[in-house]
Amino acid sequence: MNTNSNVYTVVYTALVVVVVAAILSFTAMKLGPLQNANAKAETLRQMMSAAGVKPTDELYATRNQDILRLYAENIEQAYTIGLDGAQNGTLGTDGGRIELVDRLKPQDKAIKEGGQATLPVYVFKGGICVIPVYGVGLWGPVWGYIAFQPDGKTIAGAYFDHESETPGLGAKIKDEAWFREKFAGRQVAFGSEPLFNLSKNAETGGAANAVDAITGATMTSKGLNDALNVWFKAYEKHFTDNAKAEEE
Amino acid sequence: MDKKLKETILNPILKGNPITVLILGICSSLAVTVQLKGALVMAISVIAVTGLSSLICSLLRNSIPNRVRIIVQLVVVAMMVILVDQILKAGEGTYAIDKQLSVYIGLIITNCIVMGRIEAFALGNKPIPSLLDGLANGVGYGLILIIVAFFRELFGSGTLFGLRVLPAGYIPNNLVILPPFALILLGCIIWAHRAFDKDLQEK
Repeated sequence: MNTNSNVYTVVYTALVVVVVAAILSFTAMKLGPLQNANAKAETLRQMMSAAGVKPTDELYATRNQDILRLYAENIEQAYTIGLDGAQNGTLGTDGGRIELVDRLKPQDKAIKEGGQATLPVYVFKGGICVIPVYGVGLWGPVWGYIAFQPDGKTIAGAYFDHESETPGLGAKIKDEAWFREKFAGRQVAFGSEPLFNLSKNAETGGAANAVDAITGATMTSKGLNDALNVWFKAYEKHFTDNAKAEEE
Repeated sequence: MDKKLKETILNPILKGNPITVLILGICSSLAVTVQLKGALVMAISVIAVTGLSSLICSLLRNSIPNRVRIIVQLVVVAMMVILVDQILKAGEGTYAIDKQLSVYIGLIITNCIVMGRIEAFALGNKPIPSLLDGLANGVGYGLILIIVAFFRELFGSGTLFGLRVLPAGYIPNNLVILPPFALILLGCIIWAHRAFDKDLQEK
């Protein structure tokens, strides 16, 4: 058979592409549930690390199914709010519906450009309230989970992650425990500007809403600072309304 | 084992090592060698991709239309890379490592070793020798990756496979973590390799 004729070439390539596509769709379908379970467990680990449910190392050594159980045991309520601060949906408390990192990107856009947003709020035992933040680092997305004390302005804990920041520099936001631990006890200045200040020598002034940026990771720190401020702004109404409601 | 088959397996690991002799696959060997765990997973992934793509392309070698052979090879390699990525993402233990390796798993497709071996070997040889050639080239690549990662993790983080080896007082060397040091280290390995194997030196 002439393997160089036009007809043969076209039919052959078409056949190869169809077969490969079939194989890939089949694996994607089969492995999809496992991958989603991994992504979900990862998100739950990061949220519970921020909320201080267990030390981070322990959470990462825990298997997926135990993470789900741990979450169900410790969560009190989970819901979504709009940009006006009012609740506009529930997420359930079985870990079945949480907002994964992939879903934060469109939210980030909605916050910045104005529009419909469904911002997740997770309330853990003891009134610890966890919210996500999402932004752009040097090489790719950076995100994190910030846990608030019941007063709605003091940070109880934080966890940060990134897709591809430089190891040894920007990647420190995730790798170095001392960085995220610095956030505990800081207060977000809801009602004034800036809400939070992550920059060079920020701690020198002794402000409650300041954390020093990481040396050598200027762009990552700046991206994280933007992420914090953009998302805190989006949640501002929710937290200030809650604080008012408690005073009355 | 006959001599030719032995040569097929040993040559890519020693005299014809894809990284230190052919200087292929440098990009990923700089990027994924910060920690041993990542390097090991990357090495296994590349071994699987080179071996199986060579096998498939060798099976198809007599039917592939010559004019579109590169495209067909590319489709096969891309399929293998996506499969490896999907499997890593699905495994509970490998999920975190896949996240850490991020784009570099996907970039195996651009690794010259894979396409190079298909083009140079698999298209002209029977399936079993092609499989072995692919696997051996992957091993040759992986071996260098592990060596580089060993030094970078040891002196950059003071750990090996995440376990602390150097005393807690050791201050991690930041230069070791950054990609340029991998290149320096790679240079040293090539130097050592050439000093050891006189055949590699130019007259």
